[in-house]
Amino acid sequence: MAAGGWTRREFLRGMVVTGAGLALGACAPKATPKPAKDKIVVGMSRPLSGPLAVVGDSAFRPVYETFVKEVNDAGGIHVEEYGKKLPIELLVYDDKSDVGTMTRLTEKLILEDKVDFLWPACGTSFIFAQAPLANKYGYVLITAEGGATTIKDMLPSLPYVFVTLSFSDWYQLPVLAQLLSKKGAKTAYIAYIADLHGIEYSGVAGIEFPKVGIEIIGLKSIPPDMKDLSPIIREAKAANPDVFCCFAYPDQVMPATALSMELDFNPKAWVGGPCVNFGFYQTTFGPAAEGVIGFTSFNPKQSDAARALAEKLYTGKPKEIQDYWGHPLYWAGLEVWKQAIEKAGSLDQAKIRDIIATERFQTVLGETWFEGGLLSKDCHTGEIGQWIKGEYEVIGPEKWATAEMVYPKPPWPKG
Amino acid sequence: MKPGRAYLQKLGGPGLTLMALALLATFPLYASVYSMTLLTDILMFVVLALSWALFSAPTGYISLAPAAFFGVGIYTSAILGRQWPLLLTIALGGAISFCLALLVGALTLRLKGIYFAMFTFGLVELIKHFWLWFEIRFTGTRGRFVAVVDQQTIYFTMLASFVLLLLTTHLIRRSRWGLALRSIGECEEAAAHIGVNVNALKTITFAISAIFMGAAGAIIATRWTYVDPYIAFNPLYSFMAVLMALFGGMGHPYGPVLGAAIFAYLEEVLLTRFPYYYMLIFGVVLIITVLYLPEGLIGLMMRIRRRVVGGPDAPA
Repeated sequence: MAAGGWTRREFLRGMVVTGAGLALGACAPKATPKPAKDKIVVGMSRPLSGPLAVVGDSAFRPVYETFVKEVNDAGGIHVEEYGKKLPIELLVYDDKSDVGTMTRLTEKLILEDKVDFLWPACGTSFIFAQAPLANKYGYVLITAEGGATTIKDMLPSLPYVFVTLSFSDWYQLPVLAQLLSKKGAKTAYIAYIADLHGIEYSGVAGIEFPKVGIEIIGLKSIPPDMKDLSPIIREAKAANPDVFCCFAYPDQVMPATALSMELDFNPKAWVGGPCVNFGFYQTTFGPAAEGVIGFTSFNPKQSDAARALAEKLYTGKPKEIQDYWGHPLYWAGLEVWKQAIEKAGSLDQAKIRDIIATERFQTVLGETWFEGGLLSKDCHTGEIGQWIKGEYEVIGPEKWATAEMVYPKPPWPKG
Repeated sequence: MKPGRAYLQKLGGPGLTLMALALLATFPLYASVYSMTLLTDILMFVVLALSWALFSAPTGYISLAPAAFFGVGIYTSAILGRQWPLLLTIALGGAISFCLALLVGALTLRLKGIYFAMFTFGLVELIKHFWLWFEIRFTGTRGRFVAVVDQQTIYFTMLASFVLLLLTTHLIRRSRWGLALRSIGECEEAAAHIGVNVNALKTITFAISAIFMGAAGAIIATRWTYVDPYIAFNPLYSFMAVLMALFGGMGHPYGPVLGAAIFAYLEEVLLTRFPYYYMLIFGVVLIITVLYLPEGLIGLMMRIRRRVVGGPDAPA
């Protein structure tokens, strides 16, 4: 180009081209008109790329893929209004783990693709952003990955939103505190990741532990990008607590476990956040996983339905992908959704919403219902899990326990 | 060129511009709601890329700070959006970004090359972690819900900030100020010797570009409905602005506009039509651009135009 830059004419002409281009781009071909109803289209904005992809691909994705295949193999969902079974068709977009993209794609699914149903995005903050949208357009949204105390306060204003996953005070930490105090634990050291998740869990533990006489003798936040946890583990060891809690994600819980072994920090109870509940925790640490405590919601031994679900999800697949905390709850959410459609005999969102909000369903968890938008805690078939003899057992609440809690935990294996 | 044709073109230029703007302004009348949402997002990227180029293209200082100013705007909206009128919130988002950029610019625009790029990248992380700490420690909130505004208002405010930015870019480029900026880009020492107050000029331009980034953040936050520090201060938005500007070409103000518009639209198509191959295809497009279009799309268009129309520097 000429050294003097552009003339005004060139500048203006460029502007015209751009403006026209922008307008044309946005007028891109619209979706083709809908044919007579022969399927139920379910839309999702999922993190297929970006940092959340690893979470989404191992949490809700195997569950919905198995569920859709099972329903479609049986011919679909019977909808009275159409007098026949309609198979499910998935329409999945990639939000690249970005909230802005997720909200836009959710609107695209609703406004342009006019999907029959919306299934959830991945991650707590994503749910927070998606829930008001689903509610605004009157789409039922049964969430999967994510849940937090904050959403409890919001749910009354979001009648179309239903949260399946259990979380800190719903009803994990009260159960954990009870279990520990019964075994005589007196002191606890808490390390937590400095984000929404860690702050919430450490905060709830700060209420629940003292209630049962467990004194918190150390409270340390872990910056999310911190890789070397040895100062924290050393400090915890020096404090010599009965209970050590690491309320963080796999990126922190895995190295924290390895460091505890290396520094021979062996408290009577070692509790880890979302990480301990995955099969890969046990396959990575082998015998060292023995006695480590985490969160859960079921065990295949509890019922025939539970065993059947474990077979459906895990047969012929590596143990790494097992998740006894999230998978059963997501599955139950999908079962509720299907049964609500059948009961409504229609694809009408408002009718289906009313049924989900007020009625009870039979799912893998047994009798299942929602209370004020949250899956009732009475439906959880477990809150706290522990690796015992290579199995992730439910140890609390007692009603659902498949094994007795091991306390104190065995020493780390040598060598 | 015949005088008559020149006259027509002189008349046609602004006319066509107004037509294009009229097209954009009346877009909501005939387009679907979702097209408007998409166009808002595209305009947001256009604003980010163009405001980045406003400072970085002439001076050659690679700033990775857009996400910082964008995030400041987002949080302004998240904190004040419920009580304050929208326009005031947006203006304040721009003003706070301006002040922050003024401060940061005065402190760091003596750094050159890679050091400046590194610092600005660090700024995004610094603000993110500072804000996370502040929110947890003092306000006890972990994330904030943003007051929701209707689509049409979001679209028009974004369009308005685009038009203002375009005007600003145009005025700066065609003034002595623009010339001085370009002289800084070519040889900063020489510019200082001929009497250009290089530090003041760089700082004020950097700060002006930040106004638009902050405004864009304040506008788009109303559509995101929920933000936390990780969402608001996402370095991705810095890289996107730079990539889009490079993709479009930095030799001309329309480069970043074109780059951002096509880039954002291409991304939308890939994410929705080929979700499982998005990254792969996107990567290939980027590699091709870097290898074969060093001057970006605008460079390519100019080459084609010269070939077709001819002219003094047409290829033989």
